[in-house]
Amino acid sequence: MRIVALYNIKGGVGKTATAVNLAYLSARSGMRTLLWDLDPQAAATYYFRIKPEVKGRKALFRGRRGLGEVVKGTDFEGLDLLPAEFSMRNMDLLLEDQKGPTKRLMRLLRPQSDSWDRVVLDCPPSISLVSENVFRAADALLVPMISTTLCARTLELLLEFLEGQPKGSNPKVLPFFSMVDRRKRLHRELMEELRERFPGFLDVAIPYTTEVERMGIHRMPLPTYAPSHPACDAYRDLWSKLESALDGAGEGGIPLRHAG
Amino acid sequence: MAAGDTGIEYRLPDDLGVEGVLAQIGEWRRLAEEAAALRSRAFYDSFDWSVYGDGGVLELAEPPEGLELLWRGLRGDASVLRQPVSQAPGWPADLPAGPVRSRILAPCGIRRLLPRMQIETRVRTVRVLDDQDKTVVRLALSEHRFRDPEVGLEGPMHGRIEVHPVRGYDAERDALIALLTDGLALAPADGPLLLDALAAAGRSPADYSSKLDYRLDPRGRADAVTRSILLGLLDTIERNLPGARANLDSEFLHDLRVAVRRTRSALAQIREVFPNADVALWKERFAWLQQVTGPVRDLDVYLLDFDGYRDSLPESLRPHLAPLRTFILAHYDEEQARLAAELGSPRLVEMLRDWRGFLESPLPADPQATDALKSVKEVADERIRRMARRVRKEGRAIGPDSPPAEMHELRKSCKKLRYLMEFFQSLYPDGEVRELVKLMKTILDNLGNFQDLSVQAEHLREMAARMREEGLAETDTLLAMGTLIGDLLARRQRAREGFASVFAAFLGDENRRRLKAVFASPTQDPETPDMPGQGPTEPPAEGRAVR
Repeated sequence: MRIVALYNIKGGVGKTATAVNLAYLSARSGMRTLLWDLDPQAAATYYFRIKPEVKGRKALFRGRRGLGEVVKGTDFEGLDLLPAEFSMRNMDLLLEDQKGPTKRLMRLLRPQSDSWDRVVLDCPPSISLVSENVFRAADALLVPMISTTLCARTLELLLEFLEGQPKGSNPKVLPFFSMVDRRKRLHRELMEELRERFPGFLDVAIPYTTEVERMGIHRMPLPTYAPSHPACDAYRDLWSKLESALDGAGEGGIPLRHAG
Repeated sequence: MAAGDTGIEYRLPDDLGVEGVLAQIGEWRRLAEEAAALRSRAFYDSFDWSVYGDGGVLELAEPPEGLELLWRGLRGDASVLRQPVSQAPGWPADLPAGPVRSRILAPCGIRRLLPRMQIETRVRTVRVLDDQDKTVVRLALSEHRFRDPEVGLEGPMHGRIEVHPVRGYDAERDALIALLTDGLALAPADGPLLLDALAAAGRSPADYSSKLDYRLDPRGRADAVTRSILLGLLDTIERNLPGARANLDSEFLHDLRVAVRRTRSALAQIREVFPNADVALWKERFAWLQQVTGPVRDLDVYLLDFDGYRDSLPESLRPHLAPLRTFILAHYDEEQARLAAELGSPRLVEMLRDWRGFLESPLPADPQATDALKSVKEVADERIRRMARRVRKEGRAIGPDSPPAEMHELRKSCKKLRYLMEFFQSLYPDGEVRELVKLMKTILDNLGNFQDLSVQAEHLREMAARMREEGLAETDTLLAMGTLIGDLLARRQRAREGFASVFAAFLGDENRRRLKAVFASPTQDPETPDMPGQGPTEPPAEGRAVR
């Protein structure tokens, strides 16, 4: 089982759309896949038409229920979803109650290593106890980057934070470009600049397109209703480069310089 | 939906059908239907249902890419073995290595796998939705049509609905199952589809066996019961004809010949139940059939035994036996073509039609044969006792110096006795006759070995001469065949030496007591004790024998 987190401190960068489409592509490729919606906005849950409710959520975090008891099958073969719900906004408080509060997610996933081949975590924007759990559990952090200076700043913050963490938190950091409008000169210039500043960017650019936004209307992953759209090709490209990176064979990944 | 995904399956009654059940579920929840898929599959087994008899069914499926052979267990565990194949199965040994091949190889033995049933299916996948239009249960509704390749019959069969739960929607699944089982009273579909198809075709699995298994009424008229025995044998002859003509495997001809031999034996041994002129005519006609089927059977025996022959030779001679196989095969096609022509000839078609006409004609009210109206039990007792006496007499007369012809005569008598016991087995207490038949088999094995080895040695000598004349045998091959003949004669000698001890069991007190007890008892129904007025004096009932 490999765990991939879609993460950015900044919101509105195409994180959930990427998580949903990657999870779908993963399942389509034959891997048993779980998408865990950790974002209390429950957008991923909504895209799969699943009700945002988790019965026994507290019992789950206290270790009295297994993950298998709360996941839901999606409409697609091999793809399960662990729904979010609004009360999850207080997940930090719930985690604080536990022993080893930054390892809770990892401990929930570890016994399930035979159930799924891939786990995709759709994370809330912010740095919190939830994200610290994600950093502990994930094999890779996929970081969607939009072409703004502010976004570059959040990547720096993330790297600084990770480098300050104990060595147990050592996910592969894989930034890629999201919501790209190649017609804008500013976008092209910033992409160029970011690539130079952060070697290790995946060579993928998900285009900005209203077709992706329509996922909310169709309530389905993009490849199911627009399989030949260029954005779909970009997600497939991202999926295959991510898989290569997980195998250790592909390009990408920003090396971390742990302080301790 | 994954192909291997196991759901819970129910059978759809004809009056409901796929549309009916969908309408009912549609009243409960919104449904979304996906494109229907067509699939085709064929079930294979040997003619005598070896795979089924071994507890499984063999299915050739056509998934989108390639072909797949599946073995499904019939017992509760529902285990499945699968392996890809490049073509439809035939000889089990020719299948590529794999779990299915390993499973069926031994049970099938020398029989070829044949298509026994074809099923075409239209599968409709329907999703049951909740108020968010989220799929909460998947359904696969299948409509099937069968085609029975043996008789060319085709038609519809029961549809099925398969419920595939979606993870995390247990309540919806339970509600749907309650609707199907309580609301619509659907029964679970147990057993493989093959059984449904056979039922729809009016057949049952394992509907062929070369074994005799009659259920006879001891009070039945001797002529009527004898007719039913002969009708059973005629069925066996007719069922094996197409396979023997096409030479699908060697057992069709073998079973056909055994049924012909039994027919001749019944005609000769169950005496005075038919007019003598008829018996003479039919004995002659069946003798002809036995004779024309002989040459191919002889060659079959050589081919089946060939590996054994070769392996019995010293290693250095083994390769030199190959020309014998080539020689046999070269003559095989010729003989088989001759046989196929005879088996399809108007002469045989007419003969079997007349034979059936004779066996199914109304029973004469006042038959000329003296024993026709006797109860079959009385006739059977008398015939078996008489034949047992003959076997005893002939067997006792055999000493170390008796000529082979006497052994041969004894063998024929033993075979007649065995057939009589097998025909009439159900007239006697369960198990008693089985023990006697078992003993006869042991004796016949010994006598059969002796006789067959003599014939084979002689036949091999003839073949060697012909091969030499035709320039097909080098010296080494003739030497190998000579060694083989020597080996066969040595085995024949061993069989001869073993005869006395094998036959001693027949002469022993226990066997004599058993023969006397079983075949000398007054007429008695083995199931029910005698009722007053239903004894042997009552006039026998008309032909009540079922096979």
